[in-house]
Amino acid sequence: MRALGATATLTLLAGCSGRHNWLAAAGEEAQSVETLFWVVLAGAAVIWSLVIGAATYAHRAEAKPHREREARRFIIWGGVVLPVLVVCGLLVWGLLILRHITSDDGALTVRVDGERWWWRVIYDTPEGPVTTANEIRLPLGERTLFKLTADDVIHSFWVPALGGKMDMIPGRETTLALTPRKLGNWGGLCAEFCGGAHALMRFDAVVMEPGAFVRWLEQEARPAQVAEGDRGFAVFEEEGCGACHAIRGTEAQGPVGPDLTHLASRDKLGAGIYAMTPDNMARWITDTHEMKPDIDMPAYPGLQGERLDALVSFLMSLE
Amino acid sequence: MAPRNKTVPPGDAPRVIDQGSVWILVAAPSIWAAHFLLSYWVAAIWCAKLGRGTTLMEPRWIIAGLGALCIAAIIGLAVLAIRRYGGVFVIIEEITESSERARDRFVGHVALLLCVLSAVAILFTVIPGMVLGEC
Amino acid sequence: MTQEIDLSKLPPAEPYDKARDEAQRARLMKVWKTPTGWRRISAVNNSSVGKWYLLTSFAFFTFAGFLALLIRAQLAVPNNDLLSQSLYNQLFTLHGTAMMFLFAVPIFEAVAILILPEILGARDLPFPRLSAFGYWCFLIGGLFVCGSVFFGVAPDGGWFMYTPLSSDPDYSGLGADIWLLGLSFIEVSSIAAAVELIVGVLKSRPPGMRLNLIPLYCWYVLVVAGMILFAFPPLIAGDLLLEMERAFNWAFFDPDRGGDPLLWQHLFWIFGHPEVYIIFLPSIALIATILPTFAGRPMVGHSWIVLSAVGVAFLSFGLWVHHMFTTGLPEISLSFFSAASEAVAVPTGIQIFCFIATMLVSKVRRSVPMLFAGGALAIFVFGGLTGVMVALVPFDWQAHDSYFVVAHLHYTLIGGMLFPLFAGVHYWYPFVTQKRMSDKLGRWSFWLMFGGFNLAFLPMHWTGVMGMPRRVWTYDVSDGWAVLNMVSTIGAFIFASGFVVLAVNVLWPRGKAPLVERNLWNAGTMEWSAEVPDKPWGVRSIPYIHTRYPLWEQKELLGEMDRGEWFLPDAEEGKRELIITDILDARPLYVQRVGGPSYLTLGSAFCLGAVFILATFHLWTLTLLFGAGFIGFTLWWLWTGTSEIPEKPEKEAGRGLVLPTYAQGNNSPGWWAVFITMTGDMTAFMGLVFSYFFYWTALPDFLPGAARLPGFGWLLVGLALLLAGWVTALLARERLTAGGTGQAMALLVAGVPLGALGIGAWGWAARSAGFDPTETSFDATVWVLILWMGLHLLLDAVMRLYVAARVWRSRCTPRYRADSVNLTLFTHFLALTAVVIFALLALFPMLMGVV
Repeated sequence: MRALGATATLTLLAGCSGRHNWLAAAGEEAQSVETLFWVVLAGAAVIWSLVIGAATYAHRAEAKPHREREARRFIIWGGVVLPVLVVCGLLVWGLLILRHITSDDGALTVRVDGERWWWRVIYDTPEGPVTTANEIRLPLGERTLFKLTADDVIHSFWVPALGGKMDMIPGRETTLALTPRKLGNWGGLCAEFCGGAHALMRFDAVVMEPGAFVRWLEQEARPAQVAEGDRGFAVFEEEGCGACHAIRGTEAQGPVGPDLTHLASRDKLGAGIYAMTPDNMARWITDTHEMKPDIDMPAYPGLQGERLDALVSFLMSLE
Repeated sequence: MAPRNKTVPPGDAPRVIDQGSVWILVAAPSIWAAHFLLSYWVAAIWCAKLGRGTTLMEPRWIIAGLGALCIAAIIGLAVLAIRRYGGVFVIIEEITESSERARDRFVGHVALLLCVLSAVAILFTVIPGMVLGEC
Repeated sequence: MTQEIDLSKLPPAEPYDKARDEAQRARLMKVWKTPTGWRRISAVNNSSVGKWYLLTSFAFFTFAGFLALLIRAQLAVPNNDLLSQSLYNQLFTLHGTAMMFLFAVPIFEAVAILILPEILGARDLPFPRLSAFGYWCFLIGGLFVCGSVFFGVAPDGGWFMYTPLSSDPDYSGLGADIWLLGLSFIEVSSIAAAVELIVGVLKSRPPGMRLNLIPLYCWYVLVVAGMILFAFPPLIAGDLLLEMERAFNWAFFDPDRGGDPLLWQHLFWIFGHPEVYIIFLPSIALIATILPTFAGRPMVGHSWIVLSAVGVAFLSFGLWVHHMFTTGLPEISLSFFSAASEAVAVPTGIQIFCFIATMLVSKVRRSVPMLFAGGALAIFVFGGLTGVMVALVPFDWQAHDSYFVVAHLHYTLIGGMLFPLFAGVHYWYPFVTQKRMSDKLGRWSFWLMFGGFNLAFLPMHWTGVMGMPRRVWTYDVSDGWAVLNMVSTIGAFIFASGFVVLAVNVLWPRGKAPLVERNLWNAGTMEWSAEVPDKPWGVRSIPYIHTRYPLWEQKELLGEMDRGEWFLPDAEEGKRELIITDILDARPLYVQRVGGPSYLTLGSAFCLGAVFILATFHLWTLTLLFGAGFIGFTLWWLWTGTSEIPEKPEKEAGRGLVLPTYAQGNNSPGWWAVFITMTGDMTAFMGLVFSYFFYWTALPDFLPGAARLPGFGWLLVGLALLLAGWVTALLARERLTAGGTGQAMALLVAGVPLGALGIGAWGWAARSAGFDPTETSFDATVWVLILWMGLHLLLDAVMRLYVAARVWRSRCTPRYRADSVNLTLFTHFLALTAVVIFALLALFPMLMGVV
């Protein structure tokens, strides 16, 4: 059983990854909330201890009539005045942070469209839109404005290490501003239950140096380099993959599934869930629903041997 | 045979409204609710019809003005709770006699407390408009 | 000033006579006897129905808890394949649904039905058959919803069923229909119970129990039942819209046709957030009742607790958007709800500080109930503090839909609801069974549950901070959530073992154990006045109450009650009798006769259940057939069991007090029940009105052009006809009062075609303007408003014919005319609905300059 193998290793890996940690301080928005988090946590600990301490004392102590005056003060100051002041202060602070972390513009605009169960990503550049999927690269230190939409059901876009989440709602466009502060590959998730494979709707948010980011975006904008008479591409066309998937620079222009133009340059396969390796790619094609139940892509169990190898090596060449 | 007592008091509805006192219990929180919903509607319609990034100057002052009006109304209620119902601030001592006057005073007391709570809650509703400047 | 009957100056009781006492007891016993054997299912008395309700709720709790253990087992290790994705999605949906709708709310009703009449020194609630009806609805609906999982068709969209996931048949199947119809059915029973409890607290108090003397428990019941009345109807409106979209493709939530998925979220959370307090307050009420007993003194700050209950009830309706902080609404909108969410902490805190202050000024006896209450406090305060955190918008943007929120909500619900409830189970077990629970097992169950709970849910906050979203059936080892999840799973199983100990303690057969002594905790509230062994009549005689803690402060009370020295000590006419009192000062108003055991309520509930279940499968013919059966059973029940003309206009109630045996208008509980039910109905209607204005705010082109509006003339004609129908009801009441029974009947019947013509005119106005509910959200809204009016007119027609028949058969007469008065009250609401719909269809578009 897979579960047993996993149990053996879990102690080793626990807690040391933290790519989804709110407190990783990898983004300006997350940092604002982190400060708030530690302050309210400490405050909550103090208040909890005081209340429970008072209750324990009151439960154990002998009754004395003169305590009535204390009880009166206790209710007025502890039950009324203190809570009003504390929550009022918190409210104002929370609103100030809210004002600080929301923004309607950014140095970069990325449109993300939630699909069941993957992410269509479109970079708006002066030269036109650049479409990719399931991996979002971001320049360090620059505020990016995400424009979020969905076609089918509600999803929610969340990179915990960079900042808060925002829902993607059919018929609406929502926005979220994120300003990365640390290099790294941070995990992104769908936070709103969207049916079926909701648990397997992930993405990578890769924060790069601004220079490297510009080069990556230029590369991403280029069409795919497909050799004339590529055997794998022939299989791709014969099996009708192009009806759903697009590979820019070829005749495959399917708008339904993720854009595959630079598939192999991504870190993960299947919307952020498997490492991008030839083995996983082959399994993805033949045992699709074992790897990700309920998805719309049909499995191709009949695709085996040389044809499968050719297709996999073609796909793995799409850098 | 025991002496018969045939007097039956009249029904509830008139008493609950005029001489009785139940309405004053819900009056102050209802004012809060009205102010809350009005504030929400003003801001929601303002932002929906004028779009994101619109300044909130006008709604801010509408909400604050409404808040001042509502708090004034609540102060009026509080005065009524004290004068007519004999509302007082007590915690330990309680109003437990069995008489119409005591029942009135109890209602006055709770109504007075609710006035304070509702006024505080209205102040809370006014805060967001003061902190946030645009939709 | 009214003429007052000074209850403190009643003539003294007649001297005790053993023979008379025994004869009275025998007559009471005969009248109040619970049917035995299989006939027991026809019982309607609150002690039977309350017990069934309680056990059924706990059965659903156990079921939902078992689902939770399966969920925890699946999440124990990464990449687990114990459960499939599809099954997991069903399990967590059903876990939340069952815990909320089949446990948390019904258990409030169960406890209240069981103990409220006793605390009020009453023999029963004012509508015992309605309680029985509500119970059977709850049982049938609950089994239907839970049973679906065994056929693999359980709802799987999460317990809040967000659209379009739940509205589009491509994304959700039968499960969504089961959820919508099954739960709508249960909501009906919740509202029925709420009506009953409100009227119970307002009108069934013992003579003398003025507003300032009402026990805290009853204040909470009143407040919570009132909240149910305003919180559930918007969800019912939402359910109606969603089911119309699912079944008939009406365009409410589909953005391509002018719908909006967010509307569902508003309607759901207008219900959903007050719901949290509907669950929490009744349990706090249990602590507020238990604590004075063990402190041996009245609660400190009694009126402050009433303040906070009322305050929380109001504020809780201003929090709903805090479940929608991440939906991209303008920040200013979010902030209002953030402010209200912070403000609600104030009254909540006051209650807790009053409890602590009570302990501070007294010497508290240790006991198992107090242990659970203490555990509740520790857990709930923690949950409240994390609640203050997630009420801050930026904080919530991180915490929302993560395991942090899962941990938070379990801290508030288990600390705020479950532990107080268990305290109540230990406290009232001797009241219900007259036996004692084992204290040792009680302590074991407490520590297992307390430890297990914290082990399961405390680390879960951190799982959330580590970024784990809720409702995921699997995760990878590289996510770093494995150890935390394993700990949570272990904690969950320890928690469950504690519950098993508790269940064993409760269900352990104690046939031979000695009976407890009367009032074993030395409590001050009336329910402990019950004799040991207990009697089905509740109280031997209904006492005059002039203190808050009668058993402490009215020393002679028990003896006086037992000797039959107070009111209604006898049942000479062989009828179940209660005393109805007035709202403010509990002056005795009249003697109410309530129905005894009956199968009619069972038949009625069964048919209504069949209607909802068959509608799920779109078997429309059978649905209509059972609908007719439901109406038939209900009318039969009403005909034989309500507004019966008494054999004599008044009777001696004891101590020289002579009370009428019939009441109508606002003296009678029936009138109040109609008034309260219709208030709930108007709230549901307001949900539809809200939808209309929501669309208008959110969509720039919601109102169509002038050419596509329903014809003003036809709408006006329809309104005139509907108002004419209302006038016939008023005139019928006038004529009946004046003795013109024939004219009254004619007027009542004439209202039926007027209503039909009126709604026909509206339907024609919409149809001739080419309105198609599957086209746009405006069309669908217009039709749903007309449909709403039509359904009410159908009910109106049935009621008119019923009252006319009652007049004809002289069951409703010029002197005894409660049926006619209640019908008139109903038609007032109907007229108001018609006017508002007319304003929305005809006037508002005109006002906005469309015409």
